[in-house]
Amino acid sequence: MEIKYTVQGLLIYISIAAYLLALLASLLRRPRAGHTLYVLGFVAAVVSFGYRWHHVRHVPMQNLFEVFLCLGMIYPVTVFCRRVLHIGGRSADMLIGAVVLVPAGFFFNADPQMLPPALQSWLFAPHVAVYMISYILMAKAASHALWQLTGRNPRPGENLLPSEEATYRLICIGFPLLTLGLVLGSIWGKLAWGDYWGWDPKELWSLASWLVYVGYLHYRYMSAKRHPRVNSLWAIAGILVIIVTLLWVNLSQLFAGLHSYGAGG
Amino acid sequence: MWAAMALIVLLFFFSVYGAFIGPERAKAFFNTAPLGIYWVVFALLLAVGIVLFRRLLRVPALLLVHAGCILILAGAIWGSDAGRNIQKRLFGTDIVPTGQMQIYEGYSDNRVVLEDNEIRELPFYIRLKDFRLEYYEPGHIYIQIRQGDAAWEFPVQIGARFQLGLQFGTVEIVKVFENFKIAIEGDSRAAGDEPGTGTNAALEVRIEPPNGPASTRYVFERSRGHIYPDDQLYMSYERVIRDYVSELQVIRDGQVVARKDIEVNHPLHFGGYHFYQHSYDAQAGEYTVLMVSPDSGLASVYGGFLALCIGAFWHFWLRKLPKPVQTDREQQDQKASKWKSNTQSRAY
Ligand code: HEM
Repeated sequence: MEIKYTVQGLLIYISIAAYLLALLASLLRRPRAGHTLYVLGFVAAVVSFGYRWHHVRHVPMQNLFEVFLCLGMIYPVTVFCRRVLHIGGRSADMLIGAVVLVPAGFFFNADPQMLPPALQSWLFAPHVAVYMISYILMAKAASHALWQLTGRNPRPGENLLPSEEATYRLICIGFPLLTLGLVLGSIWGKLAWGDYWGWDPKELWSLASWLVYVGYLHYRYMSAKRHPRVNSLWAIAGILVIIVTLLWVNLSQLFAGLHSYGAGG
Repeated sequence: MWAAMALIVLLFFFSVYGAFIGPERAKAFFNTAPLGIYWVVFALLLAVGIVLFRRLLRVPALLLVHAGCILILAGAIWGSDAGRNIQKRLFGTDIVPTGQMQIYEGYSDNRVVLEDNEIRELPFYIRLKDFRLEYYEPGHIYIQIRQGDAAWEFPVQIGARFQLGLQFGTVEIVKVFENFKIAIEGDSRAAGDEPGTGTNAALEVRIEPPNGPASTRYVFERSRGHIYPDDQLYMSYERVIRDYVSELQVIRDGQVVARKDIEVNHPLHFGGYHFYQHSYDAQAGEYTVLMVSPDSGLASVYGGFLALCIGAFWHFWLRKLPKPVQTDREQQDQKASKWKSNTQSRAY
């Protein structure tokens, strides 16, 4: 763990603090203050991402530090879900935003790196971006699954979907993106390494997380919503496997695979 | 559909297992005979599913998703070692599997060395016209003092002067060489850049200590260079490689039939094979190592990718989402009728 005494670090800490205060305000039933703080945290996260972009001169999605920085800009997802999908869970989003910025702020190395040749591809940014958006959606889905398990649902007047339905809708949006991410990664592998599938741990974990959601969709369809708690467990298993995909393979350094240059971020 | 669930869950566990054992062993594991049978069964079950469940046929988006999976599996099986062996036995086609070619500058070759060191020949030749490395600009000079831990890093620019403090004075970058050579003419020796083959990147720096005469030193990328006994500073020149470029020509019957400068992420595609920039001669930059990979099954896999993606977005984004929010009651009614229609279609 290290504290970053840099402009970059400061921006990240402002963001985290704003998200946490926003969460606190929401829990204390001060929705307006909560919203203002949330927007403030988002602005800090965007400035922080833009600052990084300017600093390294390539789309900053190369290593874990940059990926988590990107994940911290979660606010538009909240707005989209609320307005378009009638899915709530803003306070969970504040927490997700703060949690994903913590590794960027305290754990990952922020030294800029030059792009190694294999990463210089037009597929690189879309591949990572698509994955990031789907991961955020799946995290949100898991938070609704948790609520479902604890019996929490929106109040009738709120015009929001019940938790189980919200989980499903979020996975409905996230799943095609997850599929696209996997496919883009595979095509990129073909261009860069000559094989569309390298059996490398990172690929296999991504396949595993995709399969959890394939399983979820089939199970939910088959059981016709008769076991909502099991559906929720699938969704939570999904995000757990995604977390392993994101972190464990990179950090464990136990298995040297094709993606090992992303290690240590 | 329970069988489908079982196969999906099984594949999940296979993948996790594969992730634990590392890429080489995972590849071997997924290519073993039992796993081969698993893949074929999976593809067949998908096909059976499409026939059995009418909705999979009737809803085009779902058909695309499931047919896409079949295409991917079929392409992968077709392109695997086992698939190639079967094709050889059935149709006599002889495709060179994935391997590597090492080609020297100015020479051509058609031999591919496979993973097990077997050598196979392509029906055409690849000639390496030139190989070069490209670097991120600027490179950096690292300066360290001989005793103590003070160290500096500066971007390289001709004419730039760096202050190292009162004790060490200044360092100036005078010249930058791509291929450093000393030319000896009579008694005088002159440092120069020699164009052509080989790389020996170097810097000429001028050190001006605060008290004492100025001196000139050469700093090399490859080696530490010469350090005089009274030198106070160690210096090294470092550049980060941005790209490897091989200028290739394809030669068939003595004629150049194709040419391309390949780099990482930009392979050459010719005659059913892809040629990738894989490695190079790190010592002298005189040869390149290409990876050759046949296209067998690739079209099917890519077609499957396309179908799968289109199907998934169509089904979930266009069909599932635009529905307005319903009351719980409406949803239950709808689910009940959906379930009924599904159980009916299962009777097929
Ligand atoms: C990796 C393989 C598979 C993938 C990616 C996949 C994907 C999907 C998706 C995305 C759905 C839509 C679920 C929903 O609307 O919530 C679906 C439904 C379905 N799948 Fe699969 N599937 C796979 C394997 C199979 C297999 C092997 C079978 C056959 C036995 C099968 C049979 C079905 C059936 C019957 C439905 C229900 C369709 C409906 O009426 O909505 N799937 N699948």
